[in-house]
Amino acid sequence: MTALIRTELRKYATTRLAWGMALAMFLLGAIFSGGFGALYVYGSLTPDGTPVSEVVPPLVLARLVYTAGIQVAYLLALIIGVLSIGQEFRHKTISGTFLATPRRGRVVAAKVVALVVVGALNGVVHLLGCLLGGGVLLALSDLPVFPEPAELGRTLLLVLLVLALWALIGFGVGVLIPNQVAALSIAVAAAWIVEPLLGFGLTFLDGAEWLAKYFPSQATTATLDLFTGVDPEFARTLGGAEDPLAWWTAALVLLGYAAVMTVVGWLLTRSRDIA
Amino acid sequence: MTTPPTTVPSTDIEVRGLTKSFGGFLAVDDLSFRVEPGRITGFLGPNGSGKTTTLRMLLGLIRPTAGQGLIGGRRYAELPAPLTTVGAALEATNFHPGRSGRDHLRVLAGTHGIPDSRVDAMLELVGIPAAARKRAGGYSMGMRQRLGLAAALLGDPRVLILDEPSNGLDPEGIRWLRGLLRHLAGEGRTILVSSHLLGEVEQTVDDVVIIANGHLVRQGTIEQLHGDPATLVRAADPAHLAEALHGQGITAEPATEHGPGALRALTGDMVRIGDVALVAGVAVHELRPLRTDLERLFLELTEAPAHRNRNLTGDATPSTSTEEQA
Repeated sequence: MTALIRTELRKYATTRLAWGMALAMFLLGAIFSGGFGALYVYGSLTPDGTPVSEVVPPLVLARLVYTAGIQVAYLLALIIGVLSIGQEFRHKTISGTFLATPRRGRVVAAKVVALVVVGALNGVVHLLGCLLGGGVLLALSDLPVFPEPAELGRTLLLVLLVLALWALIGFGVGVLIPNQVAALSIAVAAAWIVEPLLGFGLTFLDGAEWLAKYFPSQATTATLDLFTGVDPEFARTLGGAEDPLAWWTAALVLLGYAAVMTVVGWLLTRSRDIA
Repeated sequence: MTTPPTTVPSTDIEVRGLTKSFGGFLAVDDLSFRVEPGRITGFLGPNGSGKTTTLRMLLGLIRPTAGQGLIGGRRYAELPAPLTTVGAALEATNFHPGRSGRDHLRVLAGTHGIPDSRVDAMLELVGIPAAARKRAGGYSMGMRQRLGLAAALLGDPRVLILDEPSNGLDPEGIRWLRGLLRHLAGEGRTILVSSHLLGEVEQTVDDVVIIANGHLVRQGTIEQLHGDPATLVRAADPAHLAEALHGQGITAEPATEHGPGALRALTGDMVRIGDVALVAGVAVHELRPLRTDLERLFLELTEAPAHRNRNLTGDATPSTSTEEQA
């Protein structure tokens, strides 16, 4: 099994995607953390125009700054997941993969483990970008760069978890929709367009608002526990849910999405004809 | 080969009642045949006759509707380290264009703990060591075929299954491939080579399995396919010569389709025909072996009304004789 996992990692590392993805993760992390950091420190997002950095505690500010790019990062993780299987279908390398390992469940298991590793590694690269972009900004503004290391460190670790889970969700989408281009478009559209619109629509339905917090994007924000200690009204203006799930419930919800997608992926892969 | 001349444990291929229907379309219909070790078997049929589907069922990539394909008595999925038993090259397009040929092999090798040295040896063997570090997207068709072959040989398999391996190879490459396959068969390996052209593999294969529309239409050795030997004799007095040949126990009949004065003698022994003619005092104007035109025979077999490809429209040209006309 370790040989299979190593092989899957080798597969990922031997195309340009690996470097391009890491670069994108890093740069987007730096840009988003730096950009949103500047907005929080110098912008006037609050109703009375005071900068966010003056109304929230340093820990919350640092969390907001360093996770500013999370929505882009999880989208990229989603794409990694789709590609990990989509490319095999697209370039027909899946035949060779299954010839070398005819027990397909083992291939799926190896891909899942490898994706968790790749998702987390890309998360590390992303966070390095965030820490660079956001850290420079906070330092230049004479604000604490890494307040409450234990608490902040936990948030950053949760970022890695979130990205690994999104990669698995992508894997499920990739198996479900063997046409790679379609899978990518649908995954991106669902994550960035359909889900927010659906969440927005639900706010008009009495008694159904609670559903929205179980959506992947809201579960992601809740997992990261970004708005603890922030005035709820103000948290909503920053994109937080009204009554967010506890971080661990949210993490379980995300894990649930990933697990369902992976199991669906495994069931479909098991019996699919590779022509 | 980098390995010293060896004989490998013999492993046969057995296809039993293999059937696959895609929706209502019966791609492979109750197909049974056996492939012997130490021989090269041509798996022949027109495009769309079910060759690739059969091979993919044999390799566990497509689930049969009925029947099974066994390699050394086992289903592919039951093979403990499949690449060491079966090497398969299915299509020349099964590469990620952004991955180098060498990395493509390393990915496959990794699953079986095959070292990089073996990867490099195989690249050397198929003659693309220099290109191996470039991205496979830029490879020519011939290079892809060679890379596919290198992948098939990675695990030093006892059985080799190659789908249209000479597609895209230049004449020199085809000659090289023939030599390699002959060598591998000589080591006792079982080799199954598919093709839609009998003429292409005629000189390579020992046995043939011919299918059309998912049905078996002929199985046997290439000699059996050629049928009994025959000789064309053109003589000044064919009737007299035929009589003389009959006297020596050789059947000869007029073969007017080969022009005036032509006889078809049912023997391959041209020396004897010449001697008989001399004794009979008949001048011989032409004497040559009449070989069965296998390509024509192949077309006849596969385009008989019962086997005509349902994927295509239009009539197959009926052919009257399986002997070469020129």
